[in-house]
Amino acid sequence: MKHLMGMALGATLATAAQAQETVVWWDFLSGGDGVRMKSLIEDFNAAHEGEITIDATTLEWGVPFYTKVQTSVAVGEAPDIMTYHASRIPLAVSQGVLQPITDADWEQMGLSQDDFAEATWNAVTVDGEQYAVPLDTHPIVLYYNRDLLEEAGRLNEDGTPMGLDSREGFEETLAALKDAGVEYPLASVTADGNFMYRTIYSLMGQQDGELLTDGEFLAGDNAEKLQNALSVLQEWTNNEWQSTYTDYPATVALFTSGEAGMMINGVWEVPTMKDLADEGRLFDWGAVELPIIFDHASTYADSHAFAIPANNGVDEGTAKRDAVLEVISWISENSLFWATAGHIPANSGVTASEEYSQMEPNATYSSLTENMIFDPQSEFSGVAGPMFDVMSTYFVPTLNGEMDPAEAVEEIQYELNDM
Amino acid sequence: MIRNARKDTLIAYVLIAPFVAIYGLIFVYPTIDMFILSFQDAPLITFGPQTPEWTGLDNYTRLPDDRRFGTAFWNTAYFVLLTVVPGTLVALAIAMGITRLSGRLQALVLALFFLPYILPVSVVYRIWDWTLNFQFGIAMHLFDVLGIDRVPIFKTSTWFMPAVAFVTIWWTCGFSILLFLAGLRAIPTEIYEAAELDNAGRWTVFRKLTWPLLWPITALVLTIQLILQLKIFDQVYLFSIGGRPNDNLVMVYYIYQRAFQNDDGGRAAAIAVVLFLIVIVVSVLNFQLLRLAERKT
Repeated sequence: MKHLMGMALGATLATAAQAQETVVWWDFLSGGDGVRMKSLIEDFNAAHEGEITIDATTLEWGVPFYTKVQTSVAVGEAPDIMTYHASRIPLAVSQGVLQPITDADWEQMGLSQDDFAEATWNAVTVDGEQYAVPLDTHPIVLYYNRDLLEEAGRLNEDGTPMGLDSREGFEETLAALKDAGVEYPLASVTADGNFMYRTIYSLMGQQDGELLTDGEFLAGDNAEKLQNALSVLQEWTNNEWQSTYTDYPATVALFTSGEAGMMINGVWEVPTMKDLADEGRLFDWGAVELPIIFDHASTYADSHAFAIPANNGVDEGTAKRDAVLEVISWISENSLFWATAGHIPANSGVTASEEYSQMEPNATYSSLTENMIFDPQSEFSGVAGPMFDVMSTYFVPTLNGEMDPAEAVEEIQYELNDM
Repeated sequence: MIRNARKDTLIAYVLIAPFVAIYGLIFVYPTIDMFILSFQDAPLITFGPQTPEWTGLDNYTRLPDDRRFGTAFWNTAYFVLLTVVPGTLVALAIAMGITRLSGRLQALVLALFFLPYILPVSVVYRIWDWTLNFQFGIAMHLFDVLGIDRVPIFKTSTWFMPAVAFVTIWWTCGFSILLFLAGLRAIPTEIYEAAELDNAGRWTVFRKLTWPLLWPITALVLTIQLILQLKIFDQVYLFSIGGRPNDNLVMVYYIYQRAFQNDDGGRAAAIAVVLFLIVIVVSVLNFQLLRLAERKT
């Protein structure tokens, strides 16, 4: 009898343990979007009470995050789920830190290729296998101060800046702002080459330029296209149209304090603007797709995606895997709220919804989804990766007028091929 | 009682065993591993598809042509030049001043000079970024008032190293001041009284008495500073975040970059070995030179 009772007790304990899965979660989302993700996680936990709890930790963005992931996977202490930049997936696969997302997984989550934009889907695919589930795409956009543009006489009737369709037009807007007494017509992160990579890569994309062609860096006339992009930006510096030696926080501050008329920055700064505007501490602002400086529209984008680390016991068929897939699928379905962080949800079902089309400024710039370009697929790619790093070294001197664009391109070519 | 020599030895071994074990585990073993790694084309962490391969001396032969290694090497040398001797002299001058004060005033002034030393490097970075930031730094507003052009101090390669060296001296000289003060107090006052009776001037007293008697301390401070500054990393890393790290590379930063950013454990280890040898050679050389100087005086 005693024996039986013991067995019964054991069984109850086992079911209780099964019913409550704890999913260990790591992300690198701090700031405005981090706050929104925390609130999403709370909603998830509330909706899955007694079944699944997310135990989330936010770590430092960039090299510290990715190094920690690599180490933890090697010793089998990785989390159950983590956020990952799509641009770093080729590198991650070569390091063996990710588990593929199988067909069965996709089916279980109720998601498939059709739910994502082609560029986004390709960004998480290596050799025909997917290694992450895209949550969003986060391009860079042009933020602008309507009050200053109006004073300079460069505001369209629909409230967007004039001259977004050509280099001449955009430069006219910059010059008009300068003439109207705006100290910095454009706030640019000119002290941080890592950041400027995004702008410069977009400008290359506007000329159909490629960084990596069949394993060769800046092949053919791509070097020239890079030089064109750098020359335009250097000219803006020479004409005193953009802020020099400005680091990231200072760039945002120049814009939000009204000292700069426009700013090129990631959509992740949308929450900053929204929160300031809600407190009544910001001018009338907006955000649009980057201006066309060369042949056609093109914008650099990356994607925050969910990945399952390798070597962590979250294998197919386990209850833990079911819980992790439920987390991904639930957050993907509810990513409309994530859009308030400025990002464009990767799930096209969400972006097609009525609510999303009402959401500003996202609705204004979401058209760029068709024109976005991702990093080339290579293990040298990715935010805070080696290629990013090499190029950034020569961007800062060029953008601040210390180095000739042609020389910068030569140096970049040398160093990229020396990696 | 008859001492049992064998038992004594055994006890001695048992007593030092924990230390030797820990020292072996966290110092000797990693050091040997670093040497081995430096002859391999190895990732940062050996796991999954990545396996290290023996490449002989490749990681070393690449270094002379490696531009970043050159930058890191010369920047480190420049930084050592800017901090070691100037930092020691500044600390000596301040200590000489403090030693003239007495009582509470002395304690207060000493505390003021020592205070920066207890700050964590992140706080030091914040303070100086607030002061010298190109757009919003307090000092820049001062420049504006004085009609001087603003200087993007941490964003140009001309100003970066001197500025970081200055901040480092400000931050760390408190400790050297303490050492000098202890040294100054150890000099018997009778000697100074005798010099006074002989009508010796201040400069003569310093040159003939204080300086030679303080020399062992000066040599110690110089050696500590030299080793510390050869291994400079934190300040350079923090002040170049969001800026131009590759123009400001120093040796340890380059090791970090190769290992963690480029996932290149082998090449990182080779640079670490080079730095290891430099530190050994330089500190032995430094020590011998200083001993030589001591004998002369």
